[in-house]
Amino acid sequence: MELRAGDSWGIFTFLCAALCNLPALPALNCTEELGAGQSIQKTYDLTRYLEHQLRTLAGTYLNYLGPPFNEPDFNPPRLARAERVPSATVDLDLWRGLTDNARLAANYRAYSRLLCYLRALDGQAGTAELRHRLGHFCSSLQGLVLSIAGVMSSLGYPLPTGPAGPPAPPGTPVAPNDFLKKMDDFWLLKELQTWLWRSAKDFNRLKKKVPPAVVTLRLEARGF
Amino acid sequence: MPPLLLFPSLLLLCLRLLRAEPLAYPAVISPQDPTLLIGSSLVATCTVSPDFHLKAEDLYWTLNGRRLPAASYAALSPTTLSVALARLNGSKQQSGDNLVCHSRDGGILAGSCLYVGLPPEKPVNITCWSKNMKDLTCKWAPGTEGETFLHTNYTLKYKLRWYGRDNTCQEYHTAGPYSCHIPKDLALFTPYEIWVEASNRLGVAVSDVVMLDILDVVTTDPPSDVHVSRVGDLEDQLSVRWSSPPALKDFLFQAKYQIQYRVEDSSEWKVVDDVGNQTSCRLAGLRPGTVYFVQVRCNPFGIYGSKKAGIWSDWSNPTAASTPRSERAAGSCDPKGGEQNTTLRRELKQFFGWVKKHAYGCSNLGIKLYDQWRVWLQKSHKTRNQVGSSR
Repeated sequence: MELRAGDSWGIFTFLCAALCNLPALPALNCTEELGAGQSIQKTYDLTRYLEHQLRTLAGTYLNYLGPPFNEPDFNPPRLARAERVPSATVDLDLWRGLTDNARLAANYRAYSRLLCYLRALDGQAGTAELRHRLGHFCSSLQGLVLSIAGVMSSLGYPLPTGPAGPPAPPGTPVAPNDFLKKMDDFWLLKELQTWLWRSAKDFNRLKKKVPPAVVTLRLEARGF
Repeated sequence: MPPLLLFPSLLLLCLRLLRAEPLAYPAVISPQDPTLLIGSSLVATCTVSPDFHLKAEDLYWTLNGRRLPAASYAALSPTTLSVALARLNGSKQQSGDNLVCHSRDGGILAGSCLYVGLPPEKPVNITCWSKNMKDLTCKWAPGTEGETFLHTNYTLKYKLRWYGRDNTCQEYHTAGPYSCHIPKDLALFTPYEIWVEASNRLGVAVSDVVMLDILDVVTTDPPSDVHVSRVGDLEDQLSVRWSSPPALKDFLFQAKYQIQYRVEDSSEWKVVDDVGNQTSCRLAGLRPGTVYFVQVRCNPFGIYGSKKAGIWSDWSNPTAASTPRSERAAGSCDPKGGEQNTTLRRELKQFFGWVKKHAYGCSNLGIKLYDQWRVWLQKSHKTRNQVGSSR
């Protein structure tokens, strides 16, 4: 077949030929597993979307807390209170050496905890607009948790069971005063931001590691 | 003996260590998170924990990120620095002003949220409406001052007059920030007493009680099935027909309707007010060959014997129709008789058109009536001649 450069019919024919030579694609229902590769991509996209949403939400919330919380160089101490919020900060070698299971489990646990705390924030936030934004963000974050769970199950890993992370030690008050509560809120948003940055890299790494063979094997197993 | 005596003190020591939290905080501010009236003054103190080896002269204060002048500081003890704030303005944000005690290098040692504002004003202008007698939505306005600088909670309460307990409305912000919706369990025929309570950190204010009967504040959906059509070939008239709103169809025998219409390229609506409770109307005095937009709305006047007007519904979605183009030919579409083109007839037509336009009436005064009169005149003329001739 003659394929002239720029000939749209030619290009179309070439594409058809190429597609025909691929392993026959099953008629995938949307409800079927997308395959781990696509799930990971979806989760990655979701973290980028949430990161973008968080910028607006954090800006609004920090303005509500008032200066100095909304100043760009604000850096309060992390007081020695019980670590409620899981930290994304991790040693580089440790992070590199994480197994896929451990990497996913850490993400799943962190976001489950963060979601809980964010929802608690929703309760007393001042303006209706802020509550609305928080509600919307929580829904999206819930979606991320489910997406991570989906990736884990498609790769055959069990979901982390039990309460996400260590429970708060008994007797620790939520926050003994309003100013400390504002600091907690600040750190919650900061940690959320750091986790979303880290997750993008986590899922990027996973994308490269999940071999295409996994996708093909699944197709062959279905008798195509 | 000594070990026995030691044991309780050891236990006490352990307990104190377990309550380690206060030691984890570098400093303590007093008062912590106070609520104050605008214009009041405050003296706050920052006491550094002994574990942190800081002295009063190493500290400074900021309020909402702005450093406070050293002239307002006073060292009350080697580890306590105070600051005097005079004539405070209303809080910059509703989450409270941030008063912070810093160490020399800028690190935060402790903070306190100042809530400076005014007690709430009485909410005013409570208006309510009921959609199809099924629910009640009320809205109100905050008191005249409006801004109290503190977060204000509003609670709408209602009870049946003469009996019943106070009920609290639960669904807020349904029709704007100061609104509440009562979705069910509403009684008819007995008035309700409704009021709004506003509360903030500095106090409570209760609005005046509004008394209303659900039947007096009923509103409905707009009329349905609005159809606009030409009236034969008449070039200056359109006929509008509609159905009463479905939800209250069986009860709206006394309803009032209103029509508004405008030319396609104008934003000025003309209102037809005396439609009464018919579900059709003829618009007259219109321009030939023009597209008109027509809307209808309904007022459930006198529903269930209410003596008051209800609340007008929204306008129905605009319906469009066009009047026929005027005929250039001398012959008009009305084929009766041979005197169609007399000057008299033309003038009469114009006159009737003018009457309709300026009377905004739905009356049937028009050229047709004139034609009917002429026909009657001819008939009676013939009869009279016959009678006359038979004499």
